[in-house]
Amino acid sequence: MKYWNMRLFQSKASFQLSRKWLVTLITGLLLLLVIFMLSLSAGSNYVSPIDVLRQLFNQTDEFTFVIETLRLPRVLLAILVGAALGVSGLILQSIVRNPLASPDIIGITSGASFGAVLFITLATGVISMAFLPLAAICGGLLTASLIYMLSWNKGVTPVRLVLIGIGISAILKSGVTFLLVFSDTYIASKAYIWLTGSLYAATWQDVMSLSCWLLIPLPTILWLGRSMNVTELGDDVAISMGIRLQRQRFLFLACAVLLAGSAAAFVGGIEFVGLMAPHIARRLVGRSFIGLVPITAIIGALLVLVADLIARTMFLPLDIPAGVFTAAIGAPFFIFLLFRTRNR
Amino acid sequence: MNKKLGLLFSTIIAALLVLAACGSSSNKEEENSSDKESTDESTRVIEHVLGKTEIKGKPQKIVTLYQGATDTITQFGVKPVGVVESWAEQPMYEYIKAEVGDAKIVGQETQPNLEEIAALQPDLIIATQVRHEEIYEQLSQIAPTIVNTTLYDIRETTDLIGKALGEEDKAKELMTAWDARIADFKEKIAAKGNYPLSVAVTNYREDHARIYVQGFAGSILTELGFTEPKNLVGQNLEIVKLTDKESISNMNADVIFQFMEDNAAVKSTHEEWTKHPLYANLDAVKNNQVFTVNEIIWNFAGGLKAANLMLDDLYAHFGLEQ
Repeated sequence: MKYWNMRLFQSKASFQLSRKWLVTLITGLLLLLVIFMLSLSAGSNYVSPIDVLRQLFNQTDEFTFVIETLRLPRVLLAILVGAALGVSGLILQSIVRNPLASPDIIGITSGASFGAVLFITLATGVISMAFLPLAAICGGLLTASLIYMLSWNKGVTPVRLVLIGIGISAILKSGVTFLLVFSDTYIASKAYIWLTGSLYAATWQDVMSLSCWLLIPLPTILWLGRSMNVTELGDDVAISMGIRLQRQRFLFLACAVLLAGSAAAFVGGIEFVGLMAPHIARRLVGRSFIGLVPITAIIGALLVLVADLIARTMFLPLDIPAGVFTAAIGAPFFIFLLFRTRNR
Repeated sequence: MNKKLGLLFSTIIAALLVLAACGSSSNKEEENSSDKESTDESTRVIEHVLGKTEIKGKPQKIVTLYQGATDTITQFGVKPVGVVESWAEQPMYEYIKAEVGDAKIVGQETQPNLEEIAALQPDLIIATQVRHEEIYEQLSQIAPTIVNTTLYDIRETTDLIGKALGEEDKAKELMTAWDARIADFKEKIAAKGNYPLSVAVTNYREDHARIYVQGFAGSILTELGFTEPKNLVGQNLEIVKLTDKESISNMNADVIFQFMEDNAAVKSTHEEWTKHPLYANLDAVKNNQVFTVNEIIWNFAGGLKAANLMLDDLYAHFGLEQ
């Protein structure tokens, strides 16, 4: 196997890439492009890929509303959300060094869910629903800060972080159930859709806002990326290698929270992608953290994109929340990968 | 290091605040531009909870996005071109099928399919704030959209549809007829004595029971002069979920109207609850005043026709002449 060493910004960021990685990356991108085009074509009325291209490059105005107002923002939002959830899960699994860590399990998603459901139950018909993402993201950030502070004992250790995260997550989930039981049926049904996670009615504004949010964690991940490989060997090794462990942990955690929290804010509680995407990526390209970031992002994007494609085309005229299908798509593939590599 | 960290942290917070501010403030401007042209008599501006909507002429292709609107618009003699799937007897309630005709189903009330709606090229969309607030902008790009605040307030729905169709007179006529029926019912039931009766609308689910104190049936019963269940008076409740049989006494009333889905799990819940000793103590049970009614008419439909059918039921149950 061949390797390349990449050094950027006067060696401030460096990483090693294999040919296998490059092949996987290109395959992934091509696959993403194919499904992207397919998603723009498919729907209540089929638009041929050629017409889609003509529409995208302004050669025709025939499909402006369907393609540019309805499908394109929805498809782009699916890609952004999937990538964000995947990378968030990757970061958490690396920090915690536990393959079961994911934004759903350690409380970020439940924080966002609680914020959103609280907002839906109290504010429906009172405050504009445009503020719903803000409520969700505040919930996510507050919960993450709380978990971080409670885990603090001369620094944060992964085990404390996970245990406290699971505890807080359980409290918030019971809070959500409480709110649902005590709310009107139509408000509860609205909250359920949010909790399942749906890309329904995505707008360009959602796409723009989410892209802004995702711009913050990206440079941080690139900057700190190479130290992550060392940290995964254990706290003692990392410290003896000169890693500022607590600072690194704090920044990475902040990135993971921002990624998962902002994704949840715009599409609700899509679960499973954060857990699954990094595992699939690792099975495909190995363990180098920086190398895993783009692959995980692509796989996360594919999972959500395909889930939403199925959700909005298989049961026409019904348009079903995408969150119903994310697990149904990722899990069989993951089991196949585990099965294939079981004897290595 | 700490200084750097603090700087980074505060930059992130600042960026977040800017993002939050820019995320939510930009879509209010367009609505105010359409105030002026109401002098043109074929163009009407209708004010509703989410803004003002301009409607030209008499809309011909109408999409209704909640059950109550689908029901009510047929009372104007109008067949919608698109409707949302019903909650039972999918895709369309039997009681309204003939009047709705062969309208296209455009998805579920909670998540209607925008592409299907657009494909119908409607000239009016009727939505409700509780379900469709988030998609109002997109709906408005498809066609002029008017928005009701509730799901089952037949007066509001009728009034709004009347305005949107430019048939305010018809709306008034429908409401006058309804008011006359209410007055008639009240007079006749009062003449039977024992007035006002308290009433409980109960519903059984797989794992719990409910009392609809308000809601569609509850609000109509209140209009008809019935009072709340005896142990819930003055509590201003909407829907009470009972998860424990010990709270059966909340159902206590002179008359009970119950409805439930036709499935085995629900039937067995109903059986368990009605076998409980507390159930036998309810006034309605003692006096044999428990009536099973149609779930669709009494709860799901939420429109003017359903309200009239419900009133027919009430005349029948109390043995009153119409």
